[in-house]
Amino acid sequence: MKSAITVLLTCAIGAAAAAAELLPIGPGEFSSVVPSGDAAPSVHVGRFMLERRPVTNAEFLAYVLHHREWRRDRVASLFADGDYLSHWSAADTLGPSARPEQPVTRVSWFAARAYCEAQGERLPNWTEWEYAAAADERTADARRDPQWQSRILDWYGQPATHALPRVGMGPVNFYGIQDLHGLIWEWVEDFNALLVSADSRDQADPVKLQFCGAGALSLKDPGNYAMLMRIAFLTSLEARSTARSLGFRCAGGKSP
Amino acid sequence: MRRIRASLALSGALALAGLQPAFSQEVTGHHHHEDMPAGIAIPGDSIYQLPVTLQTAEGRTLPLADLHGRPLLVTMFYSRCTTVCPVLTAQLQRLVERLGPDDRQQIRVLMVSFDAVRDTPDVLSAFKAEHHIQESNWIVAHASADDVRALAAALGIRYRELPDHTFNHSALISLADREGIVRARTGELAARDDAFMRAIHEQAAAKPAPR
Repeated sequence: MKSAITVLLTCAIGAAAAAAELLPIGPGEFSSVVPSGDAAPSVHVGRFMLERRPVTNAEFLAYVLHHREWRRDRVASLFADGDYLSHWSAADTLGPSARPEQPVTRVSWFAARAYCEAQGERLPNWTEWEYAAAADERTADARRDPQWQSRILDWYGQPATHALPRVGMGPVNFYGIQDLHGLIWEWVEDFNALLVSADSRDQADPVKLQFCGAGALSLKDPGNYAMLMRIAFLTSLEARSTARSLGFRCAGGKSP
Repeated sequence: MRRIRASLALSGALALAGLQPAFSQEVTGHHHHEDMPAGIAIPGDSIYQLPVTLQTAEGRTLPLADLHGRPLLVTMFYSRCTTVCPVLTAQLQRLVERLGPDDRQQIRVLMVSFDAVRDTPDVLSAFKAEHHIQESNWIVAHASADDVRALAAALGIRYRELPDHTFNHSALISLADREGIVRARTGELAARDDAFMRAIHEQAAAKPAPR
């Protein structure tokens, strides 16, 4: 009996560390909050795969144990700032402040990207992420639903002082994906491509750049405030940045 | 490690003798990059930490890290760009012209294209000819889309490909020291940026770090 329990436990741990579940999304036409140029009011999202849940501490620990250059005591400072994985109790130990089933946070874009690459996957790009995150439990595009909007905005309004919940607790959306809203912020491959104004001659002035970009975005659809918050946050980051509630999930399939 | 030391010593000897080794020999004549990560310690904040491989306008494969050893002016562009890129290129040329001859010999210039698909070596060669870029220490190159994204991220350059395959991008020139650590940046495209000029001079005058 005892050994049967041991076997069961081992299986459970094995399953947690195994490759994450990828679910198919798309293809479809989509009106993104990021303007794609005058000629194209909507963007085509090709079929892609997205992980059902964000990457967990346990999964990321298994990764850094095999890819030691991503341990917090070894990572090159070009690739991650000083807070990288700082809530783990040691470079190779999660400890009490980082439970295995919580989403991994305080990871940089470079680290997230390297993790996905090692799984034979990649980071989703913004359009893919936004396409998947536009869904609620019943419909593929719930962005005009005031309930969808207020649920997201409520989360933005919550103080980020409580411990992060474990992954997989949020509602399952139209595609079977969880935790796109209400748990963490997530890296995307093209995080540094979102707020670029339509005129490159403005680019020398970052203040003007952000103003123009944000102006163009908000004009497209004021109802997209919930998504604009994401973009504003991602735009504030550098590739080596980490944050307490910033994690990621991987995607598969051909990048568009 | 020994080979790198030897190659640095050789460059030093040539420099003392008043000879400038031809760029093509210096960069592509050695294939030390394979053993570089284990061989020499690249500072943690160096851009040479990036496993980025360039392909130059001349069609040569050039690991980014092979550019270590000399100060580097680096920017990103694409050849079909008609708005900001000609201004950016002209500003880089002005920066180099204003340097003293000694400083000019020390530095390298690197322009990497955002357009991994269309900016082939032939297209980039035509770009160099059009802009009269002849200096052997001025590299125009492209890289895979993944490498372009990583380099842009490390340099803090934002860019986005539009449906018509043009790119919106920030126009930023970075100055990396001999070890690849970014020491200064400028977004000034028209006027003189004296602080940036001073930074280039300081890096060009700084002695190579002993190995």
